[in-house]
Amino acid sequence: MKYRYLIIISLIILGISIPVKGQSASRNVIDQLGRQVTLPYDPQRVVALAPSITEIIFALEQEHRLKGVTRFSDFPTEATKLPKVGSYVHLDLERIVALKPDLCIAIKDGNPREVANLLESYNIPVYAVDPINWSGIIETVLEIGWLLNSEEKAKILTQNMRSRIQRVKSLVKKADYRPRVFFQIGISPIVSVGTGTFIHELIVLAGGRNLAVGAFQYPRFSREQVLELSPEVIIITSMVKTDAFERMKSEWNLWTNIPAVKNQRIHCLDSAIFNRPTPRLVNGLEQLARIIHPELFEGE
Amino acid sequence: MNLKTPFLIKRLLAVSFLLLLLIFVAMFLGLSLGSTKTGLNEVLKSLLRREDADPVLNTIIWNIRFPRVLLAALVGATLSLGGLVFQALLRNPLAEPYILGISGGAAIGAIIGILMGLSRFPGVSFISFMGSIATLLLILVMSSGQSILKKDSLLLSGVMINAFCSAIIMFLISMTQDYRLHNIIFWLMGDLSMAAIRQTVILTAILFPCYILIFWLSHSMNLLLMGKEMAQTMGVNIKAVTVTLLLTTSFMVSATVSHCGLIGFVGLVMPHLLRLLFGPDHRVLVPACVMGGGAYMVLCDLLARTLPEQGEMPAGVITAIIGAPIFIFLLKRSRQ
Repeated sequence: MKYRYLIIISLIILGISIPVKGQSASRNVIDQLGRQVTLPYDPQRVVALAPSITEIIFALEQEHRLKGVTRFSDFPTEATKLPKVGSYVHLDLERIVALKPDLCIAIKDGNPREVANLLESYNIPVYAVDPINWSGIIETVLEIGWLLNSEEKAKILTQNMRSRIQRVKSLVKKADYRPRVFFQIGISPIVSVGTGTFIHELIVLAGGRNLAVGAFQYPRFSREQVLELSPEVIIITSMVKTDAFERMKSEWNLWTNIPAVKNQRIHCLDSAIFNRPTPRLVNGLEQLARIIHPELFEGE
Repeated sequence: MNLKTPFLIKRLLAVSFLLLLLIFVAMFLGLSLGSTKTGLNEVLKSLLRREDADPVLNTIIWNIRFPRVLLAALVGATLSLGGLVFQALLRNPLAEPYILGISGGAAIGAIIGILMGLSRFPGVSFISFMGSIATLLLILVMSSGQSILKKDSLLLSGVMINAFCSAIIMFLISMTQDYRLHNIIFWLMGDLSMAAIRQTVILTAILFPCYILIFWLSHSMNLLLMGKEMAQTMGVNIKAVTVTLLLTTSFMVSATVSHCGLIGFVGLVMPHLLRLLFGPDHRVLVPACVMGGGAYMVLCDLLARTLPEQGEMPAGVITAIIGAPIFIFLLKRSRQ
């Protein structure tokens, strides 16, 4: 008799504990936009809604969880083999849902808010990140690492980023002059980057003076205005190194009274390194510092 | 509303049955095709026995494709009906909300609303309505008096208002320097991809009374087309009917424009096609435009989202590619 009760009680306990265990497999978190999201402890089917998120997940070596990426996710090359869910500004809801994601990671600057709302109405958790500066990027890497249970790797990655940034900082400190930099991200119209963007932060960290500081994030310029600013370094970024950018370079070369032209300091760089808030941005910073202050890197 | 004409009820029923069949076929196609490939069997299962079907497919069909198909049907119905009403009131076969610039005015209002960060409904819709009313007044003033009967002056006013509207739109876009830009550009060309079930249901609730009101006034539209004196002797309050129809149509058009952007030429293609098929009686044409226009737009949207291998194109591109040549054809024919 005694045993029978014991068995019944233990069965009841077991019966209660199984659903409890099922519930505890998900957790409530607050994302970077302050939204409450319920997501699994160990997400297995992640869809990255922007190329930068794909890069971060690969950098964390959690690509086995990644089931879908956006159209221009081209780094690392393995990412191009994953199923596409539209471009990050124009997502294909149907394809996202068909991948049965248990977590979508979105980025505020680019992903339309309606998409996040719609996905959530289909019970797909959307965790939104909003990296607007270095600390934001480091925090985002740490958070995604935490979400995907690879906190160790995230710590190592961000440590490495911090120390490399520190190294550039201490090198740049030795420079006694900040050259005027014109960072061009659009050709027609000429578009640069203003205060409040991480490219601006990169230019300052790399020891340059951003000529496009001001209230607008992506201000437009006429040719005249650029000539008047008399940049000492011109940097043109492009998605792919097309003729258009080389043509832009040769067009600037016509204005020989610009210091950047006189001293042949016009550079075309890969935009993916500069406009994606990822650990790779440190490479961009180092590249930029070398371009702005080549004298500091002599002998390396 | 006068239903005493012999055979009218029979004709109405026959036409409705035919077009209902068409819109059901179009909606079925719209629900079963998309960027993810699904077998016909599973689609039927999800449509008929929802509980047994794959939950992911249910979400795709019922939460993604269904609102979109419904929105497309509403947009097509509204724009076709808008075209029909304008053609009757302005007695001009080439009148259409898009060509007259009414859609353009609604778009300016909607863009201002989006830039102000308002919600789609009621904020953006309201400003969009104000924009369309403003352009409507402008058109009526510009082509006022007797000249309203002349095709060319009306069309020219429309062309100018459209040019003016697109200049304002370009101005607003060039002043926007952030990521909202891309959304606005895509939206401008007619984007149905963000259809959500709740908004679509609200839109349905707003538009259906408008359809019924226009149907109720359809006999007056017949009489108006016979001439003002004729209509007056038949007991039509010309002013009241005209104002009601113009306001209702502008309201409907702006409600749809604020949801899905500029989609042109639907109001031209469908009323003409239906008039060719079913004759000039507006009591038949109004319901025919609602169903036929709806079916046409559902099919256009289906092409827009299934033709490109990657992503999709704006639905307005498809309607313009089909509609613009038809417009030129009609213009040529009406000149002869």
